Amino acid sequence: MTTLAHRFSARRTAGLTRWNTVLLSRNRLALFYAAVLPLLPLGTLFIGERGSPLVGAFAIITTFLVIALFPVYYNVLSQFVSRRDELVLKRMRTGESRDAELLVSIALPGVGIALLLTVIAIPIAAALGQPLPVNPVLYGATAVLAVTMFTAFAYWTAAWTKNAEAAQLTSMPIIILASIGPMTGTIPDMPDLLRDILSRTPGAAMSDLVRLGWFGFDGPEATEATLTFAGTFGPAVGPLIVMAAWTYLAVVLARRSMRWEPRA
Amino acid sequence: MLGLDPIADRAVLRSRMGILLQRSGFSGDLTVRETLRLWNGTLTAPRSVDEMLALLSLEQRADVRMLALSGGETRRVDLALALMGSPELVILDEPTTGLDPESRREVWRLVSDLRDGGATVLITTHYLEEAEALADWLEIMHAGRILRSGTPTEIEAGYPSTISFVNVPGVPDDLAGIRRVVHQHGRTTLETDALQTSLSGLLAWAALNGVELDGLDARSPSLETVFLSIADGRERAANPPENTLTHEEEGALR
Repeated sequence: MTTLAHRFSARRTAGLTRWNTVLLSRNRLALFYAAVLPLLPLGTLFIGERGSPLVGAFAIITTFLVIALFPVYYNVLSQFVSRRDELVLKRMRTGESRDAELLVSIALPGVGIALLLTVIAIPIAAALGQPLPVNPVLYGATAVLAVTMFTAFAYWTAAWTKNAEAAQLTSMPIIILASIGPMTGTIPDMPDLLRDILSRTPGAAMSDLVRLGWFGFDGPEATEATLTFAGTFGPAVGPLIVMAAWTYLAVVLARRSMRWEPRA
Repeated sequence: MLGLDPIADRAVLRSRMGILLQRSGFSGDLTVRETLRLWNGTLTAPRSVDEMLALLSLEQRADVRMLALSGGETRRVDLALALMGSPELVILDEPTTGLDPESRREVWRLVSDLRDGGATVLITTHYLEEAEALADWLEIMHAGRILRSGTPTEIEAGYPSTISFVNVPGVPDDLAGIRRVVHQHGRTTLETDALQTSLSGLLAWAALNGVELDGLDARSPSLETVFLSIADGRERAANPPENTLTHEEEGALR
């Protein structure tokens, strides 16, 4: 009796996503974090030297990081825990909606905003003298992988987050883990071992992929595009594996620790 | 349930069931109408939003945000969701707790209509008069165990009728049919197996002695009698007194 249509309904998910979007749009603060804040890093393109690839890479990597952390990670986390805390999820689960539909529909508004912003960043950067992405396929894949990974991180973090207020604190470990790579990635003369460890953090893998996919940078200390479309795939394998591994880990942990009702 | 496995056949089964939780929540930033539309979109064969608004008398509140509703109104929205899928099996966990008397009557009417329409309704309630009015079949639960099952008449059978009045001196305790006399809270309560006989005897005694029986009340056994005697019996057992507040009655209606 159980067919795929019984397990996951796209129609139902679309309906739920619509109302989750309405709810996000009515929460001014959440909307600011989800839609406005991620655009701010692009502002460095106005201030920095026009057309400088270093300024460009810094702005786009920071944009990516903020997109992953706010519309996706923090937003999905706080929406989920506040719905759980308010017993909305408990109520929904008495009906026909399936768990996967609830999870996807809560994530989709933020994920949609994030993917939209990664696209909008291209013409904005181009208008401010930056090159177009060297490898749009890799760039797109990085964006999709990043939103997936941070959605999974959000659902995992929910396991030890009591409510939306507590999320301000419980989100810190992942925010730090995600930020440390991009923050330290371009420091020169770093010991190899340290650089090696840092490059395996989720944020570092993500920024490596942006440097490759958009700017064609070869290695962490590169300052100008040397790679072409075809040349970017080889060096991308390592960071892609790192991101896939973090995503897998986060999904496994999230599945194991999923809670649908407030803890008694 | 309904000939289906609750886990393996969840999808089919849930489309035929309506559930009202004892406590549940809503997104405060959605209006009543939006909340119903949201739920409507998740159902296989929903009744229309307008129909549900009318059924639960929520038309006047349709465009009010959920967080501005009273407790009773929120409960009615909750009920609207439970009934929107035209369920064959309805599970209502304390549907009228916290409702004003008028809303409670409304819920009773809805439940009766559901029953008359052929649905099976499982209700848990702390209100004895609710169980008495609505249930075709009752299970009395105490501390997690079912202690009595049956129709209301079956359950009440064997329990005494009661006559009570404000204490007066000299009431005879040997009237026909009287089982027990209790003096409590300034009232005398006579428990009897033969209500009419005992009452006649009492009234004859009062007339003969010129006694006025203030606040006279005579009644057949009620669920309350059964319930209280179960509670008393349990209280005298090893259970701590606060357990007496956990009685629940379940009425399954058909």
